[in-house]
Amino acid sequence: MKDQVAVIGVGCTKFGDRFERSYEELITDAAFDAYADAGIDSSEIEAAYLGTYLPGAGGGKAAVSLGDALRLYDRPITRVENYCATGTDAFRNGCLAVAAGVADVVLVLGAEKLKDRGGRGIPRLGHPLLARGNTAPGLFALAANRYMHTFGLGRETLAKVAVKNHHNGALNDKAHLRMEVTAEQVLKAPIIAWPFGLFDCCPTTDGAAAAIICRADRARRYKKDPVLVKGVGLAVTTGRPYFDPTFDYLGFRSTQAAARQAYAMAGVGPRDIDFAEVHDCFTWTEISNTEDLGFCAKGEGGRLVEEGRTALDGDIPVNPSGGLKSFGHPIGASGVRMIYECVTQLRGEAGARQVKQAELGLAHNVGGPGAVSCVVVLGRG
Amino acid sequence: MAGITRIATYVPRRRLDRTVIGQTWGTRVAPGRRAVAGLDEDALTMAVDAALACLDGADPAHFDALYFASTSAPYLEKQVASVVATATDLPRATAVADFGGSVRAGVTALRAAIDAVRAGSVRSALIVAADARLAEPESELEPLLGDGAAAIAVGTDGVIAELVSAASVAEEFTYFWRTDTQRAVQVTEPRFGASYGYARDVAEAVGAALRKAELPPARVARLALGAPDERSAADAAKRAGCDPGRQLVPSLAAEVGMLGSPEPLALLGRALETAAPGDFLVVAGYGEGADALVFRATDALPAARPRALDLARALPVASYGRFLKARGFVPAETAGEVVTSVVEWKELAQDVRLHGSRCEACGLVQYPQTRICIGCRARDRLVDHKLGKRGTVFTFTIDNLAPVAEHPLPMAVIDLEGGGRLYLQVADAADGEVKIGTAVELTFRRLHEAGGNRNYFWKARPA
Repeated sequence: MKDQVAVIGVGCTKFGDRFERSYEELITDAAFDAYADAGIDSSEIEAAYLGTYLPGAGGGKAAVSLGDALRLYDRPITRVENYCATGTDAFRNGCLAVAAGVADVVLVLGAEKLKDRGGRGIPRLGHPLLARGNTAPGLFALAANRYMHTFGLGRETLAKVAVKNHHNGALNDKAHLRMEVTAEQVLKAPIIAWPFGLFDCCPTTDGAAAAIICRADRARRYKKDPVLVKGVGLAVTTGRPYFDPTFDYLGFRSTQAAARQAYAMAGVGPRDIDFAEVHDCFTWTEISNTEDLGFCAKGEGGRLVEEGRTALDGDIPVNPSGGLKSFGHPIGASGVRMIYECVTQLRGEAGARQVKQAELGLAHNVGGPGAVSCVVVLGRG
Repeated sequence: MAGITRIATYVPRRRLDRTVIGQTWGTRVAPGRRAVAGLDEDALTMAVDAALACLDGADPAHFDALYFASTSAPYLEKQVASVVATATDLPRATAVADFGGSVRAGVTALRAAIDAVRAGSVRSALIVAADARLAEPESELEPLLGDGAAAIAVGTDGVIAELVSAASVAEEFTYFWRTDTQRAVQVTEPRFGASYGYARDVAEAVGAALRKAELPPARVARLALGAPDERSAADAAKRAGCDPGRQLVPSLAAEVGMLGSPEPLALLGRALETAAPGDFLVVAGYGEGADALVFRATDALPAARPRALDLARALPVASYGRFLKARGFVPAETAGEVVTSVVEWKELAQDVRLHGSRCEACGLVQYPQTRICIGCRARDRLVDHKLGKRGTVFTFTIDNLAPVAEHPLPMAVIDLEGGGRLYLQVADAADGEVKIGTAVELTFRRLHEAGGNRNYFWKARPA
């Protein structure tokens, strides 16, 4: 599928506490942003993919939230849900449809309105094994504690991820948390789930993002500098890693497998990637991701951030957007938002947060934790 | 020869210093501490804890009866004995019964079980008594009561104390009561109750049992008397012709409080910690009369002595507010979803009996039960496997966000002795106690409430 699909338009709402916007309005904002970027109107959209974890009120377990928001009817619209990889997997499915030749112009849209839900965190499970006490920070913390115990990493190193990503996000006017933080602030913040303090955790965020993709051979009709999809990968492993006696908790096999698939399709290796948007739901997750994606060896991820190599001016900038940490994490929107950032960087339109020599970018989501991972490699035409 | 083969007591780790109650209400209270069942504990869970301690690795398949005794069972309609039997992995072909009504239920159940063994209708029985009785805030009972459980195994093999005689007294007397609409135990005028509703009846039942055994009171080595308070136990002993100072098993009042139905059984356990073969031991429970049983310690006792009750390991209840919350007087956050009875039924072996799977192809023990091995991917080669109940923490977190009533919540991934890995909440841990490598044991707890019912599941606690 390499080079068969092009991204001709991207859009993204301001992320944050969007109490003033409904779920459908966020969809509309992101979609029309992307239509304008691609220079098309909705009549040209032949199919659409909605990535969402919790659809809008009345949307049910279906894709109708997207259809109704955009009045996009009589066309195939598919809802994709795959934990925190929902957005990138929606993009991947859109790419498959274009590459298969069944639709030439496809809208991929991720949207989430988490702040309307009242309770904290995501809904709770009713099963006796897992009921009560299952939080996202708590689940990722299990891995972080074992990793830190094994590799002798301290919370000080985790804090450096937060400092870096907040710095990047402060440069980004669509980011949720636009402020710098100091390592001291991060370390002194209230503990959410040890070893994660408040600033080790991404926020709960509203937002939507969109990408319009089309056949690469027709892309220049719409855009003189289209971005091409080089490779995609998706891998699923156990959703209950805590019951797997063989699991070492030092990284996520799903990310390693999805990255292998995407690199193989793109015909590149991790050393060829110029920058990456990776799933930093928690500070530790970014460190582990950089290892699982092959940017460094297992156990070396801490040093990567310590040495500033993942900073905006480092040799492998990670999360130039500010990441989930600062940009926010509306679950289904995040992956598409990462595509938006990669395209913006590859076009050289990222302004103050622009990375140097952006030829090949990577977007990565992982959810579960570790159950599902999706990797997308994008490059300049 | 029928009698006791094993005995164990469970006391919750949480203790409330009585001065906290005294300071809260500005009242004078007896010194010492009372045991407090946690928010995730009740008579059912404490019964499972005591039963597991009593089994202590013995094969549950050996038992064919389980009797549960309590005045504070978490259900008015739904049998608890069968839940305890399932959680302790007794066979389906087990005779079960719940005893209640008054705090003598523990001794009554013990007598009924030994009678059943003697009659040949039961081979081996487990008797579990547990109480977490609620007292009205600011009442005289509030500092006095304590929570706990005791379990006794009876049978004919390996008897450490054989039953010699038994006697009962039955007469209506309104001393302690709780109607079907009251949460807290009510009590009549205490001195009147102690004299006529307690000491008189207990002395009468003990005297009758001793006469049946043709035993003068002075020959009794130890008296294990359940009591409404410490002084009344001494009064009952004197009335029965015994010397409280020499013969009475010291009350648990100062350290745990008055336990209710498990109390006489727990005191009997204490007596067996030091008794010599040939010693006569009397156990009695009270409430609308009394039951008294006379036992004789056997030559098998020294080799099978119960473990000494360890009360040293305690977690202080930090405040009166925490105490009220632990006992359910403060509405706790209840988090949502109902566990359907279909799921409960389908997964009973896995969730309550705590059976996992073992792969016949590669040997890997795993949980939950599954059809394809997580190690070697062999299909349908997994067989039912009973998991161990001890293990070590592989990794953990201390969660302040979890939708539970008490924070912080330690959560841990546990590698079990004998294989298998579980992901569990950790109960009763002191600050800093949960770490990678911490040794833990499993305890059956009330995990949450939803849909008007309770969901019980296993937790870990520091061993």
